[in-house]
Amino acid sequence: MAVCIAVIAKENYPLYIRSVPTQGELKFHYTVHTSLDVVEEKISGVGKALADQRELYLGLLYPTEDYKVYGYVTNSKVKFVIVVDSSNASLRDNEIRSMFRKLHNSFTDVMCNPFYNPGDPIQSKSVFFCAHTLSIFYVTIH
Amino acid sequence: MSVPDYMQCAEDHQTVLVVVQPVGIVPEDQFFRIYKRIVSVSQVSIRDSQRVLFIRYRHHYPPENNDWGDFQTHRKVVGLISVTSCTAAKEWPQTSDRFHGQKEVFGSTLYDSRLLVFGLQGELAEQQRTDVAFYPSYDDCPDVEKRVEDFVESIFIVLESKRLDRATDKSGDKITLLCVPFEKKDFVGLDTDSRHYKKRCQGRMRKHVGDLCLQAGMLQDALVHYHMAVELLRSVNDFLWLGAALEGLCSASVIFHYPGGTAGKSGARKPGVSSAADAGKRHRPGAQEVLIDPGALTTNGISADTSAEIGRAKNCLSQEDIIDKYKEAISYYGKYKSAGVIELEACIKAVRVLAIQKRAMEASEFLQNAVYINLGQLSEEEKIQRYSVLSELYELIGFHRKSAFFKRVAAMQCVAPTIPEPGWKACYKLLLETLPGYSLSLDPKDFSKGTHRGWAAVQLRLLHELVYASRRMGNPGLSVRHLSFLLQTMLDFLSDQEKKEVTQSLENYTSKCPGGMEVISLPDGLKLPPVPFTKLPIVRSVSLLNLPVSLRPHKVKCLLGQGMSTASPFIYSPITMHSRGDERSKKIDFQWVQGDVCEVQLMVYNPMPFELRVENMGLMTSGVDFESLPAALSLPAESGLYPVTLVGVPRTAGNITINGYHTSVFGVSSDCLLEGLVGVKSSGCMVEVVPSLPRLQLCTSLPRSAHLSSEDLSTSVSLQLFNGETQQLTITLENIGTETLNTLELTSKTLSTKEKLFGEFVSWDLQDALSHLPLKSGQSVSIPVNISTKLDFSGQENLLHDLNDDGISVTGLPVSSPLRQVLKPRSENKPVGSDASKNEYNHVKTLEAVLTFKYSGGAGQVEGYYRELSLGVRVDVEPSVFFTRVSTLPATSTRQCHLLLDVFNSTEHELTLSAKNNQDLVLHASECQRMAIQVDKFDFDSMPVTDHDALRLSTVRQQEEKRQQVQGGLINSTLDIRWTISSLQRDGEASVEGVLNQLILDHLQLAPLQWDVVVNGAPCDCDVVADCRVGDAVPLEVKLTNRSKSAVGPFSLTVVPFQDYQNGVQNFDLQDAVTFIGSNTFYIDTVNPTENSVCVGALLFLYTGDFYLNIKFQDDSTSRDLPPAWFCLPSVHIKAQEPIEAAA
Repeated sequence: MAVCIAVIAKENYPLYIRSVPTQGELKFHYTVHTSLDVVEEKISGVGKALADQRELYLGLLYPTEDYKVYGYVTNSKVKFVIVVDSSNASLRDNEIRSMFRKLHNSFTDVMCNPFYNPGDPIQSKSVFFCAHTLSIFYVTIH
Repeated sequence: MSVPDYMQCAEDHQTVLVVVQPVGIVPEDQFFRIYKRIVSVSQVSIRDSQRVLFIRYRHHYPPENNDWGDFQTHRKVVGLISVTSCTAAKEWPQTSDRFHGQKEVFGSTLYDSRLLVFGLQGELAEQQRTDVAFYPSYDDCPDVEKRVEDFVESIFIVLESKRLDRATDKSGDKITLLCVPFEKKDFVGLDTDSRHYKKRCQGRMRKHVGDLCLQAGMLQDALVHYHMAVELLRSVNDFLWLGAALEGLCSASVIFHYPGGTAGKSGARKPGVSSAADAGKRHRPGAQEVLIDPGALTTNGISADTSAEIGRAKNCLSQEDIIDKYKEAISYYGKYKSAGVIELEACIKAVRVLAIQKRAMEASEFLQNAVYINLGQLSEEEKIQRYSVLSELYELIGFHRKSAFFKRVAAMQCVAPTIPEPGWKACYKLLLETLPGYSLSLDPKDFSKGTHRGWAAVQLRLLHELVYASRRMGNPGLSVRHLSFLLQTMLDFLSDQEKKEVTQSLENYTSKCPGGMEVISLPDGLKLPPVPFTKLPIVRSVSLLNLPVSLRPHKVKCLLGQGMSTASPFIYSPITMHSRGDERSKKIDFQWVQGDVCEVQLMVYNPMPFELRVENMGLMTSGVDFESLPAALSLPAESGLYPVTLVGVPRTAGNITINGYHTSVFGVSSDCLLEGLVGVKSSGCMVEVVPSLPRLQLCTSLPRSAHLSSEDLSTSVSLQLFNGETQQLTITLENIGTETLNTLELTSKTLSTKEKLFGEFVSWDLQDALSHLPLKSGQSVSIPVNISTKLDFSGQENLLHDLNDDGISVTGLPVSSPLRQVLKPRSENKPVGSDASKNEYNHVKTLEAVLTFKYSGGAGQVEGYYRELSLGVRVDVEPSVFFTRVSTLPATSTRQCHLLLDVFNSTEHELTLSAKNNQDLVLHASECQRMAIQVDKFDFDSMPVTDHDALRLSTVRQQEEKRQQVQGGLINSTLDIRWTISSLQRDGEASVEGVLNQLILDHLQLAPLQWDVVVNGAPCDCDVVADCRVGDAVPLEVKLTNRSKSAVGPFSLTVVPFQDYQNGVQNFDLQDAVTFIGSNTFYIDTVNPTENSVCVGALLFLYTGDFYLNIKFQDDSTSRDLPPAWFCLPSVHIKAQEPIEAAA
């Protein structure tokens, strides 16, 4: 399952990032940060042709030795990045998509919160729970 | 082959490799000077043809790479230029030997070589040799380039001959198998006669010829050869060479498509002649490709003039195909472990091509692949190089973050623990290069506005690494700068613990090297701007404070208002000039004074979880010489808003602008400019400094007291006085400033009070003080000021109802009387309701006045400024005496009357009351007595009334009041009632002004109609007895003088004689005793103002006796309008005597 999820603001700074606690958090920061290059490239490439009915799901951004990095961009250019273990071959594209959809829903909930100031780091429990449902911490539980 | 050339690009396939090396000892800088000149000859047009030869120079080339020269000819060293120093002829043989030795290294592949000898002179140098050139010195070698060109041409000749040789080398002879080093052992014992083997040989040779064609500048031929090679090699599954052929095809196509080159070195590569010639026939994507059938070519048809023009462009790969072919080639390379370097270089070349095509995603895939190519054990230096190149390539395709990531990895590699001598400088340099990728600039201004940019967690990490690297570099100044930057920009992202750690290490660094505001320039030209700590502490508002009231300068008002003269032609306009400019540049409407301490208040707070010590905090100003007096402060942890006052003294006059403040925190001094601060409230930062003015210090003979409530005062005094008392206050003014005081004015203002005040509250004489002017610094002057309290002395009548009219004096109040209680001073609870009025007797009333001294001097006076010093005077007025009741009794004379005053002593002391022409009256505490004073009636009309006073008071009511007041004053001064408390040795006056009501005043006033009765030629008043003789006619004259403002009359008067028996009986029946001669009724016609009218009659007394004449008015309608007091005629007392007696 996912080892790291991140929500990144339009201006490319992290709103939320959680990773499997057993591994270095900074490593995921770097992984997610560098994945933004690919996200930007994908957005700019697609944006010209199909600005309207753009697919939010960006697919696999890039594989690393240990992980696969998937991306998703909302219409407001907020990016979601999910890092999964590349050893986990059972994970299909559809499952990744549904993970993103859940994450997007939680994010929408956060944005609906009248006390949330857009642009601030997300402290909301809602995304945190979502992280749980995405079994981020699956590894530690087992 | 183990050393990859990370700088490889596709067009390098076109070049011939020339190695330039020093022989013997050659100074490095001299060598590179020559090397540079050699390198400048990078492409040479060949005579007699349109072809161009491109040369790639290397000053270092591993010989094992040379072994791959057959595989890709551009890897083959074909030329050698040696550079040597040789000063003496005897060294020459040795040098020559060395040169030959060097030639041996690349001997198998060299086409030609040259030796450049520097320093050798003499006959040896005279000899003409093609392979050796002699120059007297490194500076004197004008034809190096020429030499190199010749050399290149000679290489070309060899190359061309080889090409032709190989290309035609097909005539059934056995073709040798070209192979790469690691293949050699695989082919041992292979059947060289098999078709398979032959094809392989053919394919490889085709590929080789393609390479040579490409190098020789025959692009189209190369393409054809490559195509043929691909076909041949594909059929025999010779993957490594197939890959090479494909790559060759790609390279040739790339050279065709991108004559400018793919290496990104702008302008480094001039478009070749042949490319220029082909430019018009550029391949267009989508055009149908027709390959020239390799079989259709004649055996010697590879020469330039053959092969129809038609197919030329078609042989070239399209842009899409280039990438596909690269992919294919790389996948073939990937099958061979030993070809890692080739694969890696192919990846890099492909990435460069993709970067030009702006296909970043595919490029990143190639790069990703390159990352995973294992080249076996790499040295640390190679690792660094590899990561740097990866970083550069990522940068090339626009993946700045990835680029930064690899650059950082490279930087870390520089200082890997396995390296014995870590390269901290290199590490630091590389780290600096990663900054843009992390959207981090080292200018704090970029972070001052809006939200934080970039990924804080990684930025933080990078900054920490920068700090560490710069420290290990031995540049503590840099560490301090970076650490300051970290603290300033990343404050919001640091945990409390981290904040502590960062500040601790910052303090450690600054103890060795204090941080400042100077720009740090790095050797490579990067400038590190200063980092002001605008967040330590955070400033929320800046406000310039006005001077204390007593020191504020005031402008002498001129005809036109200040500043209005130029701004607008209108004296008043409702349209305010909108200054769209910055709020901060707005001028503040108060002034500071040169030489006086001025204050600016900052509201600051400390965001740190510990106490923050801010040292040397002062103001930064412009416009005026300003002496800042820095302050040190200590802000508690996570403090709320905390006011800090920064002070300074302006030394010259003019407009001063507060630009910012400077601080020193954790050993870092910062200059924080207000314009760069976010969220700072400011009401303007520019203020006018007026020239210096003198300063006065005020002290009084009375002790100071708390300030008065309402006004801004410099000092105030308070004193306690009895009502009516006068006290003198001496005010001493000392000039404590540096300027000489030239002018001094004093005004007073009584603060509005409910109490009615009679007379001047404060009065003074300034003449004496003014005579001491000008007052030099340090001198002082005294001014006496009189304070007199004359409040209303009236008391309420109903309170003393027991003091009856007929009782002349009341010695005391009954003990049980409620009044007795309230007479005691009681400050606590006031009785409510009707009781409140009882309190009035000992109610302490408060009077307040402000004395204002206006003074000026020095340069400020010239500019028209003055200062005000105000002294508040507060007087608690205790009641002394009260006039509880006032009445009048007519005196015997109509021109006089008795004023009866019921006086109540409300003090607790015995009190003596005196009035003019009257004996003293002693009143015990709380005693009430009646006092009768005989007064002449007043002729108020004759009083001078100042005209403009009367005019000013517009309403009738006001005029009336004024009139009453004036009249009261007159009466009071006439009466001059004074009280003395001998036990306290205090005295004062008791004014009746407030006591007198209209009725009393009417009584005290001389009637406007003045009646004079003259009996027997003598004027007659009440107590004057007129004598007359019985039998004589007594003339009676009644004269009316009209002093009123209107005509009066007509009146008719009746004279009624009567006798008073002094026992209450009056006998009016005197027809027998008194006879009128003529009528007893007088008639007075209308009398105009200021005129008089006289009527005369006579009386005849028949008997002796005391007679009284009562002059009565006839009931007349005209007289009714006038007050009865106007018709107050004296009664006439006539004593008729015997004429005999008189005769006797």
